[in-house]
Amino acid sequence: MCNEYKIIEEFFYRNREQVKNPIIRSFLADAQNLYLVQHAILYPNDCNLKMVDETFQAHYQRVQKIKYISNLIYFFSLDFDKKKRRLQNRFLLVADSGLMDDGKRDEESEEEGLLEKIENEQLFKGLQKLTDKQLQILEMIYVKDYSIKVIAETLKTTPQNISNLHRKALKKLHHIIRKEEI
Amino acid sequence: MQNNMNEEMLIIIENFTPKIKQCLHQTSYQDREDLEQEIKLKIIEKLTTKEFENTPSFWNFFV
Repeated sequence: MCNEYKIIEEFFYRNREQVKNPIIRSFLADAQNLYLVQHAILYPNDCNLKMVDETFQAHYQRVQKIKYISNLIYFFSLDFDKKKRRLQNRFLLVADSGLMDDGKRDEESEEEGLLEKIENEQLFKGLQKLTDKQLQILEMIYVKDYSIKVIAETLKTTPQNISNLHRKALKKLHHIIRKEEI
Repeated sequence: MQNNMNEEMLIIIENFTPKIKQCLHQTSYQDREDLEQEIKLKIIEKLTTKEFENTPSFWNFFV
């Protein structure tokens, strides 16, 4: 009995640096695991070693999962909020769409380009700084209400390209307006 | 095996509920329920699809 204690103590003393490793320490904190390890130290046959290994691997995977999920929850909630804010900033409540008196005026204004429709000075200045192509795409999307696919066909390019240009144009516009505000 | 995994997932989600609730403060009041649901969905998705790294053998740590 005394001898057994000695062997175990010696083993842990020899590996005192390793025992400080958090994963090992948390594994050995469980009494059952500790017992398995001690058993394996005293009788190091294949079966005992394997048993320790299997429980250790389960423990290790559990720790990995917990760590991963903990990070996941944190960063996912950050991202979620960012996404919501972006959408909220982009789609501010539009209260004037129902104020158009009738379809007639709507049709009339259909003939005008995008720039003629803008009343906001900042927005107008911003739009003037965009390239012709970007302006053309914005006009087709917001004035003529074409789908991305149709625009891609008219401009003889891919929908992905249109979508990219559209996004870039909005981003640039956003940038310009922000700068003006400051 | 399938049942076992589902049970494990339930336990994990249950254990993480306080943490999830805490992270709900990241977003505005009206979006919190949405976020909670999305997080739980994401956890389930990741637990079923993600492959975790191979684990080292216990005896590798010792001499």
